[in-house]
Amino acid sequence: MRQALTRYIIRRGLQSLFLVWIATLIGFTIYQLAPGGPLQFLDDDPKRTAADFDRLSALYGLNRPILVQYLAWLTGEDWFTILPGGAAWQSGQCRVNAERCGRGILRLDFGRSFYFKGSNVIDLIVERIPATFMLGFSSLVISVAVGIPSGIYAALHRGKLPDHIIRVTTVLVNTVPEWWIGLLLLIILGGYLRLVPLGGMETIGDGSLPDRLHHLALPAVVSAISGWISISRIMRFEMLEVLNQDYVRTARAKGLPEHLVIWRHVLRNAILPFVTGLSGIFLIFLSGSILFELVFSWPGMGRLAVIAINSRDYPVMMGLFVISSFLGIMGVLMVDILYSFVDPRVKYEL
Amino acid sequence: MRRKEAPGSDAEAAVSVSIPRFRRVKEQTYWQAVLAKLLRDKLTLAAIFGLAVMVILSVTAGWISDQVLGFDPTTTNLTRRNAPPTWAEVAWPIFQEFTQTCQAGGVTTCRWSLWKAIFSASLTGLRDCLAAPRGTCHWMGTDQAGRDVLSRALYGGRISMRIGLYVASISMTLGVVLGLISGYYAATFIDDIINAIIQTLGSIPLLFLLIILSRIFQPGPEGLSFLIGVFGWMGVSRLIRGQIFSIREREYILASRAIGASIWRILFRHILPNVSSIVIVVGVFNVAGAIIAEAGLSYLGVGIGPPLPSWGNMMQGSLGNFTDAPWLVLAPGLFIFLTTLSIYLIGDGLRDALDPWVK
Repeated sequence: MRQALTRYIIRRGLQSLFLVWIATLIGFTIYQLAPGGPLQFLDDDPKRTAADFDRLSALYGLNRPILVQYLAWLTGEDWFTILPGGAAWQSGQCRVNAERCGRGILRLDFGRSFYFKGSNVIDLIVERIPATFMLGFSSLVISVAVGIPSGIYAALHRGKLPDHIIRVTTVLVNTVPEWWIGLLLLIILGGYLRLVPLGGMETIGDGSLPDRLHHLALPAVVSAISGWISISRIMRFEMLEVLNQDYVRTARAKGLPEHLVIWRHVLRNAILPFVTGLSGIFLIFLSGSILFELVFSWPGMGRLAVIAINSRDYPVMMGLFVISSFLGIMGVLMVDILYSFVDPRVKYEL
Repeated sequence: MRRKEAPGSDAEAAVSVSIPRFRRVKEQTYWQAVLAKLLRDKLTLAAIFGLAVMVILSVTAGWISDQVLGFDPTTTNLTRRNAPPTWAEVAWPIFQEFTQTCQAGGVTTCRWSLWKAIFSASLTGLRDCLAAPRGTCHWMGTDQAGRDVLSRALYGGRISMRIGLYVASISMTLGVVLGLISGYYAATFIDDIINAIIQTLGSIPLLFLLIILSRIFQPGPEGLSFLIGVFGWMGVSRLIRGQIFSIREREYILASRAIGASIWRILFRHILPNVSSIVIVVGVFNVAGAIIAEAGLSYLGVGIGPPLPSWGNMMQGSLGNFTDAPWLVLAPGLFIFLTTLSIYLIGDGLRDALDPWVK
């Protein structure tokens, strides 16, 4: 049993690594597909010559075969010299100055940003990860804390008023973009009533806990909406499913009080599928961070993505894509492993 | 249920031949029963009406903005930037005064008495606006370049709804075809490949990919729909695949295989009609989802670019000044809400109607 579990985890881990590799491939392909290429900016210079193109292409290694460029991007080019004739594969700047060799994304070198002049892309991203995680984690906590009870409540009062209210809210929230709800609440609560700040993570010069919570409250609640809805839907569905099972009837027939039937027999079985739902929710938070961080001026990865997109900062975009894919894939993997621990009946097949 | 269309109607009809006193039950095909059930569902009818209004409004946007409103959606007027709706010109400063009284001490210090003035000023404004000649009254204010928000919202409906339809057709086609194939060939190499693609696309944050792609290629409405559709078929495909598992073991599939029908004939003539109700319902929901997705992308500034209006990029103009010009957020959002709500309700009604013999 334990062995099967270990084998399952190893297989899922390897599969996830493969997915990460696919993600780097997708990222690199997109980068190559970009019309004009990295030297497009030269078109704006009236004094450019064909020699300038050649010189810069050689300097940045753009004249190399695409596979070599991918290898240099993925694993770095400083070790190319150990291969016979590998020095020819290095970019011009690397050959002249070993300091300027690309070290490859495997060693977390995503190059330098165009927009934030000279900053390393990885530094820009790493310093924004905590903000995104803080927002994502608090919305996860809120959506679980609200979603599970409301789902249970709706299932136990099926067809009655509370169930209808929850269903109508679900439809209403589903029919507008969640970030639009955030924008409206921001206008009313932040702009007109000044109950919450208009954006940001903390008041400048005041990083105290109450101030941070004050800034976090609205963004966390709004970005929790979609998670809350899907959790309560899963919960309601599973509860109703379990309530129809024979063992629930047996439990009632032997005279167990209703609350014990719910706690001991229904909830325990209904809560399992919720764990699988988590992986989807994790991705929703990662993707949704872009829109919510724009609306609430939250200084996280999503906000960085918007800046990078609007300034055509390709290295930052690629870095964000690869790192967010990595985080997403690892999140799904973690949920899968968690699930196999929670539910011993899970089949260890792929 | 008053069942005029009971499943046993064939039998009853047969009986009625021998005993003439029996009332003849009108036979109904499946689609007639669906239509009958749909026509009894008032909420769905209202939703269909609502969607029809939105579609007509955007189809006739040219005539309405020209003949009724008197504003062109792309004509800028830099002397009237971020102007409040014309009927609220008097009421808007009073409302701002009201919000200032609130800001002093949370909600406790609000001067609610100001609302009387706000209402009466708005009413007078509305009356004046109705009487005013065309081209003088901005019903929903103006945007950051002085363009009329209402006529832009009407034109924006063309783009947003078109994208909704395109995306739904692309993602449904891909999802249905791939779902049929992987369901029919379950547990074979083809199924594995399709599953691998779904798993890959399902575990990377697609919004990051989408915004990078749409920034690089800067697509028009068709291209954008293609991008959104290509990354949105996985759910449909999984759903169809699951449905097919039970269908492909039925006798009529076996029979049709036995007489040598081709795989495509089995898939599209025998299996697809049996999942058609699910396909229709999911397709309808997909349209609403696509409209919301487009709004998000355009709000980020990578979807449909100005001066072409879409509901999403109209809100982008509000980025810096949403508290001073909330109509820039409200108006397009309201249009999105009404459209997607109608679509959702229609989808919900169809789900019930497509099972016409279930109570």
